[in-house]
Amino acid sequence: MRVLLVHTHPCDESFNAALRDGAMSALAEAGHETRLLDLYAMGFDPVLSAQGRRDYHTPGENETGVEDHLGHLRWCEALIFIYPTWWYGPPAMLKGWLDRVWIPHATFRMPEPNRPIGRVLTNIRLIGAISTLGSPKWWWWIMGAPGRRTLLTGLSVLCAPRCKTFWMGLHQMDSQDQASRTDFLARVKHKLRHLA
Amino acid sequence: MRVLVVHAHPNPDSYNAALFRRTVEGLRASGHEVDACDLHEEDFQPVLTRAERVGYHAIPANRTPVEAHVQRLEQAEALVLVYPVWNFGLPAILKGYFDRVFLPGVSFKLVGGRVQPNLRHIRKLMVVTSYGGPRWRAFLMGDPPRKYATRVLRALIKPTASTDYLAHYDMNRSTDATRAAFMGRLDKALAGF
Repeated sequence: MRVLLVHTHPCDESFNAALRDGAMSALAEAGHETRLLDLYAMGFDPVLSAQGRRDYHTPGENETGVEDHLGHLRWCEALIFIYPTWWYGPPAMLKGWLDRVWIPHATFRMPEPNRPIGRVLTNIRLIGAISTLGSPKWWWWIMGAPGRRTLLTGLSVLCAPRCKTFWMGLHQMDSQDQASRTDFLARVKHKLRHLA
Repeated sequence: MRVLVVHAHPNPDSYNAALFRRTVEGLRASGHEVDACDLHEEDFQPVLTRAERVGYHAIPANRTPVEAHVQRLEQAEALVLVYPVWNFGLPAILKGYFDRVFLPGVSFKLVGGRVQPNLRHIRKLMVVTSYGGPRWRAFLMGDPPRKYATRVLRALIKPTASTDYLAHYDMNRSTDATRAAFMGRLDKALAGF
């Protein structure tokens, strides 16, 4: 499978970066073709500008500056996010990647009076999110798991009609020991070696 | 009341910017002291840097990069957010405001490994927002931005605080009439603030 991995964390020595590296090697071992977008490393600008907003609905013009990102989205069959959950959602850096890259015409058809929003990226048939969270699992669910909904539910309805999703979260990150981190990394690698 | 109004739309000609101006004017007209924070206008930088991540838990040094924003938040008795919902979430610039300003020692405290809310001085929360899609669609998705306001932020402020969530859904198919009606709803909410 062609897999696009989108990674977001400012520190290269972080556990999140270890998840990124482990994921890339597991995917390669399983024979998948991979591409990596490391948003912090590439210095991605997450802010949709005033001009960007004015051009937002103009086909073609709204792709200015994010052509490469759109190329990766059209290429991949699976889209996997690895990021820390901050304030119950993706970091601003990753949210801005959605704001700027998931634009009308290129990634979805705008709704019309008698027609709902339409799918464009039907090449994407799997979306996964792998995240570390400070909160306990029960509290995350009481808060309504907003980040998971934004990424998995929000994007999957724009991709292939039977697009699958998966979620892997390591909760209470601030008090996890080495063993539980190692175990989570092993589970992530196992999952990615058996992507279907 | 001292009200901090945080706004996140890049285009000053937008409907959302009009909602922001109306909110600020309406609150001032009813005698509130308003601190209007337009994140785009102030060129707010939403990306939490490597240095900030490394020093995240060092209280109080962690607030240094955003000291002015922390002070504005600490002075507020009410918090109002005016922003568009994009891709079923907050615009990155507003998400980054929470990432960078809602720090340990500012919006919450870690006591014995447990999180304790620290914005008890905020006794009113209002969200004024617009969604591209219809309400049923947001509902089916679990409406993450609504949960963000009514659960995540709500848990940080005074327990008895009142919360208003004003949303104009289906902006993509909105008309002058629906937009004017929503302005009317906003005026009413501001009058009773």
